[in-house]
Amino acid sequence: MVFRDSQRCWDVSLLVSASILAIAGTAAMISATGTTTPTLAVRHILYLLLGWVSYYTASRRAYPYWMRWMGIAYGCSIFLLVLVLLFGSERLGASRWLSIFGISLQPSEIAKLATIGVLARYLVGQPRPLPPNVVGFSLGLVALPLLLIFLQPDLGSASIFGAFWLGMVWVAGISPRMLMTGVGVSAGLLPFGWWLLKDYQRQRLMIFLHPDADPLGAGYNIIQSTIAIGSGQWWGRGWAAGTQNRLRFVPERHSDFIFCIIGEEWGFLGCMIVIVAFGVLLFRALRIAQQSPVPLGRLLAVGIASWIAYQALVNLGMVMGLIPVVGVPLPLLSYGGSSMIVVWTALGFLESIHRTQRPHGGL
Amino acid sequence: MLGALKMNRLNTLRMIWIIATGILLFRLIYLQGLQGRTYRNLAEKNRLRLIVEEAPRGLVVDRQGVVLATNQTFYRVAIIPQELEDLSSIVETLSLLTHQPIDRLQENYRKARSLPFLPATVLTRLSKDQALHLEEERWRMPGLLVKPELIRSYPLGSTAAHLLGYVSQPNPQELGRLKSLGLSPAGLVGRYGLEQYLETDLRGQAGGRVVEVDHRARQVRVVDQQLPRAGQPVSLTIDASLQTLIEQSFQDQPGACVVLDPWTGEILAMVSVPTFSPAVFSMGETKTIRQLLEDINAPLMNRATLGVYTPGSILKLISATAALEHQLINPSTKISCPGSWTLGDRTFHCWNRDGHGVLSLSEAIMHSCNVYFLQVGRKLGAVRLLKTLDQAGCSHRTGWPLGEAAGHLPSRYLTDGEVAMLAIGQGEVLLTPLQAAVMVSAFANGGQKLTPWVVSKIKDRSVNERHSLHPLGWSAKTIETVRRGMIAAVGDPSGTAHRAYDPNVSVAGKTGTAQTHLPGQTHGWFVGFCPVESPRAAMAIVTEHGGSGGDLPAEIARSICEYVVAAGI
Repeated sequence: MVFRDSQRCWDVSLLVSASILAIAGTAAMISATGTTTPTLAVRHILYLLLGWVSYYTASRRAYPYWMRWMGIAYGCSIFLLVLVLLFGSERLGASRWLSIFGISLQPSEIAKLATIGVLARYLVGQPRPLPPNVVGFSLGLVALPLLLIFLQPDLGSASIFGAFWLGMVWVAGISPRMLMTGVGVSAGLLPFGWWLLKDYQRQRLMIFLHPDADPLGAGYNIIQSTIAIGSGQWWGRGWAAGTQNRLRFVPERHSDFIFCIIGEEWGFLGCMIVIVAFGVLLFRALRIAQQSPVPLGRLLAVGIASWIAYQALVNLGMVMGLIPVVGVPLPLLSYGGSSMIVVWTALGFLESIHRTQRPHGGL
Repeated sequence: MLGALKMNRLNTLRMIWIIATGILLFRLIYLQGLQGRTYRNLAEKNRLRLIVEEAPRGLVVDRQGVVLATNQTFYRVAIIPQELEDLSSIVETLSLLTHQPIDRLQENYRKARSLPFLPATVLTRLSKDQALHLEEERWRMPGLLVKPELIRSYPLGSTAAHLLGYVSQPNPQELGRLKSLGLSPAGLVGRYGLEQYLETDLRGQAGGRVVEVDHRARQVRVVDQQLPRAGQPVSLTIDASLQTLIEQSFQDQPGACVVLDPWTGEILAMVSVPTFSPAVFSMGETKTIRQLLEDINAPLMNRATLGVYTPGSILKLISATAALEHQLINPSTKISCPGSWTLGDRTFHCWNRDGHGVLSLSEAIMHSCNVYFLQVGRKLGAVRLLKTLDQAGCSHRTGWPLGEAAGHLPSRYLTDGEVAMLAIGQGEVLLTPLQAAVMVSAFANGGQKLTPWVVSKIKDRSVNERHSLHPLGWSAKTIETVRRGMIAAVGDPSGTAHRAYDPNVSVAGKTGTAQTHLPGQTHGWFVGFCPVESPRAAMAIVTEHGGSGGDLPAEIARSICEYVVAAGI
């Protein structure tokens, strides 16, 4: 596959919608951390710049080139995930970070993209509907990092792997019957999953059902985040003027709960901008998948799209009090270097898929 | 075909996204649109705290300006839950320093703990020394807070306790009501006596600050501030020295005494024995409070206004007045007392079994002759006697604002014997000491009925304009005749009230020794006024099951009269 006309065919909507999200996130970040820990805002901007660089770099090469490295990336991320379990630095009761030469790294973020890559490569050229052994092996590829992350424990991130696997095998052609069987069996096993959960995870689920039972203990997060969003009303309280934010009632407001700042300070209007931008981003990604002439590009695009979409929905549902609190950052907005760079790299891959369809002039 | 399948399957993902986003959209409209105002209020409640500053309660002073009720600074110890590091070590240190049992401190903390940023009070009413001591050691106890509190105190101890009343912590049921009146739950509330009656004047207005706090309840800035307005000082008509003098002269004998100005109705002293220390309630000494409540002698009851007693012979003053007014007798009417008197098949004995001989009215009053007044009562009959008793205020409330009993007069048909007994104050008749004092005032002020009052000034505003004198319509001659009897009762060595005699003061009085339902137990009464020429004090004294009115009550009356003249009230 040869790259041609590379200067002409930027997918502008993809880049613009993603950048709107990133800039909104940065503005919220400055408001959230400006008076207390301004270094976080500075670092966030730095990560965003690095993200743009990786986006550009990734988009400049045809994605099959990058796909060749995916096996190695997958292997490395599995290795890092094992290291996290052994030596990871603990925060909020979970080991999710690894410090290498003073840089703290979240291997689960890398594992997401690497797993999507190897999964795409594996599913290419499989017969339709997917035979059971293919489904089984693909599940195995996902299950390995999923379990390692689940043990951290990080239920939220682990569930993302399940989400993009579903999206990818669906588009790769799993038979609806097999999918239904799989879903049925999983649902049947779900009660047993309760025993696998850590105490704090069980508590979070119970709090989701009864947030007012312990308003200053475990239910605090949900209550304060809904108050923050609700108090923004239609037009918001103004940038850096949200009291829930400035007086630090919203916990984790620079990371998982960044959307609360947007809800409180920019109101319904700001929330709509974020949701619409995510919608544009997702629809562009699926459009790229649709227009990709080869299954590899299509599967890769679908994987990336289902990952980002699922993660965004879970985060938004969580901060609005619709689903239990699972520690999932909002892609492109939440604080976190690993996440920011990996997401932008993935968007770079999408851009690359978008460009690559051109030389063949369509299907 | 495969292409269509692929397209379909991508559309599934699009549909899932659209549905999920739709749900989020509805949620946002609900949170920010429909409930936005509610959540805005919740956010305001999060960040704004009202810190109430109690207003000092108004002073209460007597007619000379002697302080009867004031405020004293004590200290309270609280623990801020969120700053607490180790409860058991704090409690242990605290227990060592204050000599309080560890269990109690922990129990107090557990009960008082509410929100992490609100200090939970574990100990109150600490003295300054204790507070300083704790403050020195506070570095060892992170999360501990020592702050001053104003507690109602009564410098004269139990003096005038029943008049002043007491304040105490509001109970949970009252909190809601108090809040609706704008009162803060932290402050003490007037519960009894003047503390309750003048609550709105004495309380003042609590001030406070509206403070913006962060998520750990640390103050960020003061949004609004209002200084507390102190309660208004109140002046009473009583004389603290006279009050103390009378309280002491009762020598723990249960009873009551009312001294008032017969021209104005000002209460000069109001005593009820046994008494209590009102500070016990503001200090919250539960053990003593329980003892007071369970005491069969009811020390919390104001006997002067709520105690009802058979009047006995003091009622003869009214019987004499009624008979004179209806011209059944005149000052020189003589009646013979052989020691007993028979009506139908019933024989009534005079207290002097040997008889008083032939008596005029003033001699009858002086000797308190039963036979004389039994016959007067018989002549008067129920209607005329009851009418005059009613006029004199028996069975009517006097208009006392702090709670009083109405006394009692019979309203049923009375036999002749019962009417005769009523004329000597026995039978179905009850009076409060306050009613007796109002009744006797009529003989001091020329036949006028007065309304007693005790609050003379609230701040600088005079509040005595409501009192007034109502003429009873008794002739001056009648009153003069009864007075002569009262003067003789005290002044004549053979008079029943001679123990009230003092060579330096002219005292008029009448004793009573009322039989009670307990055989051999009598209530002793003294009613009277002084000085006779220009009366400045009228009084009623009762001793409960305290023997003869000529003994302790008459002696107390003498002390009162000596004081009144010496102090020049």
